[in-house]
Amino acid sequence: MNIEKKFVLGGQEFESRLLVGTGKFSSVEVMLAAIKASGTQLVTVALRRFNRERPSDDLLSPLAKLGITLVPNTSGARNALEAVRAAMLGRELSGSRFVKVEIHPNPHHLMPDPIETYEAAKQLAKEGFIVLPYMPADPVLAKRLEDAGCAAVMPLGSAIGSGHGLSTTEMMKLIIADSGIPVIVDAGIRSPSEAAAAMELGCSAVLVNSAIAAAGDPVAMAAAFAMAVKAGVSARRAGLMAQSCYAVATSPLTSFLIEGKT
Amino acid sequence: MGGASLKKAPFFMDILINGNSHTHKGTGSLDDLLKELEANPVAVAIMVNDRVIPKAERVAVTLKPGDRVEVLSFMGGG
Repeated sequence: MNIEKKFVLGGQEFESRLLVGTGKFSSVEVMLAAIKASGTQLVTVALRRFNRERPSDDLLSPLAKLGITLVPNTSGARNALEAVRAAMLGRELSGSRFVKVEIHPNPHHLMPDPIETYEAAKQLAKEGFIVLPYMPADPVLAKRLEDAGCAAVMPLGSAIGSGHGLSTTEMMKLIIADSGIPVIVDAGIRSPSEAAAAMELGCSAVLVNSAIAAAGDPVAMAAAFAMAVKAGVSARRAGLMAQSCYAVATSPLTSFLIEGKT
Repeated sequence: MGGASLKKAPFFMDILINGNSHTHKGTGSLDDLLKELEANPVAVAIMVNDRVIPKAERVAVTLKPGDRVEVLSFMGGG
């Protein structure tokens, strides 16, 4: 399957195929500069309890000024019920129907709970949300989530924040081959080359957070990711050459140098 | 109606905010509560006793003693 010409989620078309998470940045200023450098049009945000000691400590106003789409996540939810509540709270704040369903009950590995994720996604899709579920790289679950009305599936490359890259490549290929909705790699990506590789596989987009926020220079890294994602899309469209078990010569093998001796 | 004057008069009420006990001084309206917390009404979402309160419905809510209130805002997240 080739990359679709346009990247459409919930009826909205996006030029950029790089989604950026807003966690872990050293300051709001750095985060905003990195978002601009990335060219992203979709950023994820989390909900947290209002801090009475720091009432002005809020991301909504600075992000709203950028004119990009906010995708509130349901991080912190341990089950479908909590995730649905978090989604509704997020919608109240963002004014957007986008939600990243994220249910990971175990703080050590942060692996998504497939059963609760499916239940929450199904319910939220019925409620009219544009549902982007963070999920294990499982082709069967991906199909079930598509049937439940999700706008995309977001299988993990490796554990959140681990930087172990695309350790699920083979499963990702199966998901992409069968999917009728965009496949977005979420979690684990460390380097721009991995983002390019995901796009070459046929993913529709990638979501990157730690790799940018925890980079030596987050703004420069955001720009590097933007270029890598574009390169990956172009490469996929150009059509990668076939692989072979054996060498296939690129230069003629005529042995003219020794012809005189034979 | 006595209710109108009662509603205006400030009173004290023990509630839970974000899991912590809090004595609210005011009418029990969510507007009063947000003022008390110095929270920007546009930048927070509210849940009372596990029910998400849409912004348009905030005026219709009057808190009762013992209510569990969650006040949430956006922070960075992936």
